Amino acid sequence: MAQAGKGKLNYRCPRCFMRDIDIDMFYDDSTKLYYCLRCCFTGTEEEVLALNEQIKEKYGRLRQRVISFGEDNEPPVFAPHIPGQQ
Amino acid sequence: MADQLILNVIHRPELSPEYAERALGGRRDVQDESLDIFLFQQQAAHENGLKTTIQITYASLYSDAIIEIAKEHHEKYGDEIGLSLLGLPCRQFREKYKTEDFCIWMFDNDTKRAIIDDCFSLFYEKFGFYPESTGSYFLDAYTINYIKAKYPSVKCAVATCWEEGPKAYHTCNNSWYTFMDGGCWNPWIPSKVNSHIPAESEADDSGIVAIPHLSRDLMACFDGNGSNFGTHPQNVLRGMIYYRDREGTEYPYLYNLIDQYRHLGKYNDGFSYNMMFVGPGWLNKAGRWEAPYELLAKSYKDGCRYYGNLKKQGLLKDLTMSELADYYRDTHTDYKRPECALWKDILYGSNKEYFWYADPYMRCCLDFNQGGAMIDLRPYAAKIPQETGIGTENVYDASYPYLIQANYRAGYFTHYAGAGTVKSCKVTYHGRTADLCLCKTMATFRKVPEGVQIVCDPVTVSLDGLDIHIQSSFTFLEGEGKLITRREILNDLHGETVRIEEYFTAGYGKTEYQPDMTTMTLSAGTDTIQYGYKGRKVFCTEGAEKYATAFIPDICTKVQMGGIADRAEAEEGIAFSPVFHLAVTKEINEGGLETWLRLEKAN
Repeated sequence: MAQAGKGKLNYRCPRCFMRDIDIDMFYDDSTKLYYCLRCCFTGTEEEVLALNEQIKEKYGRLRQRVISFGEDNEPPVFAPHIPGQQ
Repeated sequence: MADQLILNVIHRPELSPEYAERALGGRRDVQDESLDIFLFQQQAAHENGLKTTIQITYASLYSDAIIEIAKEHHEKYGDEIGLSLLGLPCRQFREKYKTEDFCIWMFDNDTKRAIIDDCFSLFYEKFGFYPESTGSYFLDAYTINYIKAKYPSVKCAVATCWEEGPKAYHTCNNSWYTFMDGGCWNPWIPSKVNSHIPAESEADDSGIVAIPHLSRDLMACFDGNGSNFGTHPQNVLRGMIYYRDREGTEYPYLYNLIDQYRHLGKYNDGFSYNMMFVGPGWLNKAGRWEAPYELLAKSYKDGCRYYGNLKKQGLLKDLTMSELADYYRDTHTDYKRPECALWKDILYGSNKEYFWYADPYMRCCLDFNQGGAMIDLRPYAAKIPQETGIGTENVYDASYPYLIQANYRAGYFTHYAGAGTVKSCKVTYHGRTADLCLCKTMATFRKVPEGVQIVCDPVTVSLDGLDIHIQSSFTFLEGEGKLITRREILNDLHGETVRIEEYFTAGYGKTEYQPDMTTMTLSAGTDTIQYGYKGRKVFCTEGAEKYATAFIPDICTKVQMGGIADRAEAEEGIAFSPVFHLAVTKEINEGGLETWLRLEKAN
C-alpha cells in the first residue's frame, strides 16, 4: 500500500478513547479502513461512528438538564433536555 | 457580595497557532485564518454583550492588524488588552531564541527573564502602556515574582490549569508535558514561594490575583481526562458529551457545568466564578477530530449566548481580568478564608458527591461516596519552594506534591496486597471489621465559628449482628492547617464495645510512582523509625492525648494525627506497598472518637 493519510474527518481511535486516550487514526485508502497505530482497532467509518455513539453511553446524564441542585445532601434534580433550548 | 457569577472571557490571537499550523500543513493562509478566528471569537462575545480580555501573543505583537483591532475593541467594547506568555511560537520567536520550546515555566531562569522583558517591551512599544494582566498555562512563582517586580502594573494572571498532570499526559498518548496538578480551581492570590498555594498574609502575597485556565468539572476531571470537562465548549465536544437531534447538536452538560459553578456561591459567601479561554486552534476551519468547523463554531456561539443570557437576567457580571483582580481583592480581604466546593456528579448519573477545600495550608478532597474518605491531600503548609524549568529538578513537572491521591496511588481498593493512599475509619466488633469507605453517603456544608464543617448523613455498619449507626463530621479550622474528624455513634450499643480506628495512609509524589522514602521518619510516643520498607510499627499509649507523626523532608512536610484515644501508631510500608500509615484507635460503647490531622512545614 502507499503511505496512509487522514480520512475526510480526523477521527480518533474509539477503542483508545474508551480508555481515555486521544490518538488520531490513519486511513488506508487501499482497504478504505481506518486504523490505530497504538491498539489493534481497524474499522470502517460506519464502525467508528457506531463506537463513538457507544462511548457516550457512560454519560448517563447526557440528555438531561439540571433544574435544581437541591439540598447539599441530595442529588441534583434533572429533567430531560429540550432540544433547541439552553 | 452580589450573588452573580463572575465571568472572564479571554481571547488569544495567535498568528501561527500550533494546531492550525499542523492542520493546515503550514499553508501560507494560516495567518489569515488565525485572524478570522480571533475576530469570530470577539464577535461571539460582543454580540452577547460580553467584554473580553484580549491576551496579545508574541506573534501578534508583530501584526499591525491585530494591534489596531485590539485598540479599537478596547475603545468600543471596553475589552482589556493584556499580554499572554502563551502563543510564543512564531518565526520571530524561533529565530531569536533558537528553540522549539513554548512553555514559559520550562525555560531556564535567564531565558524566562529575557522572554518576559522582550514581550513586555514590545507590548509597551506597540501600545504605549504596560499590561495589567498576563498568563500562561502555568506560571511558577519565580516568573510571577519577576513580572510583578519589574512590571508592577500586572495584577492578574492565568496561572494554572486545574488537575492537568499525569491524566492529560496519558490522554495525549504520553506526549503532553503540562504537569500542574495540585492547584486551585477558582481565583486565588498566589504565595510568593509557590504559585499553587494561596498566600497566607500580605507578606506572602505575590501581588497578583491568579485564575485557572479553565473552570473544570471538579469530579469528572479528578478521574477522567481533564480536557473534556471544562467551560470550554470545544473541550466538551472533545469528550463527545453531546447528542444529535433534529434541531441539531445539543450539549446540555456545558450549561449544567456552568450552573454548578454558579451554585458554588452558596459555599463561598456568594462568590462564584467562571472563565472561558478557548485558544484559536480549537476553532480552525479544518475542524477538530470528528467535530467539523460548523459544530466548533456553533458551540462557541452557544457558550457565549448562555453567558450573555445570564447577564441579561442579572445573574452574571462580566469582568476583564484586571477588573476581576480588583473585584477579588475587594471581596476577599481575609487571606485565610478557604475556597470551598461541594460538588455533585452532573454527568454520569452516579449521585457521587465530593467536597473540595483549599486554604493556605491544605488542599483536600473528601469523597462521600466513600463515607467521607479523604481522596486527595496537598500539604500547602509545607510551602515547598519548588522551582521549575531547565536547570532545576523540575524541568517540566510543576505539580504540587500530594500526600494522598487515591487514583494515582490507589485508595481503599488494592489488588490483594498492600494499601492505597486514603484517610478513612475502620470499625471493629467481635473481630470483624468494616471500613467507612464502603458506606455511601452525602453531606451538608455549614460555616462554624472556627471554620467550615461538613456533616455526613449517618451510615450503618453491621458487624456480627450489631448495627452501629455512625455519623462523620469534618471541621476545617481556618488558618491552622488542621482538620478535626469526629466519628459519632448515634445508637445504643447495649453495652457492647466497638473499636474505632481513624487512619491516614499516605505516600508522596506528583505522579503515580512513589519516589524513594528512606529519607522520611515516623514516630509515636518515644519511638522513631527511619523508613526502611520493613513494615515496622511504633506506638504511643501514654498520656491522655496520643499522636503519631510523619516527617517527610523531601517535601518539607510534617504530618501528625492524634486525639484523646487509647493508642496512636505509625507504621512504615514495604517495597511492594511504599506508603506509611498513621492511626488513632479507641474502644468505646457510646459517644465517639474525635481526632485531629495537622500539616506543618518542616525542613
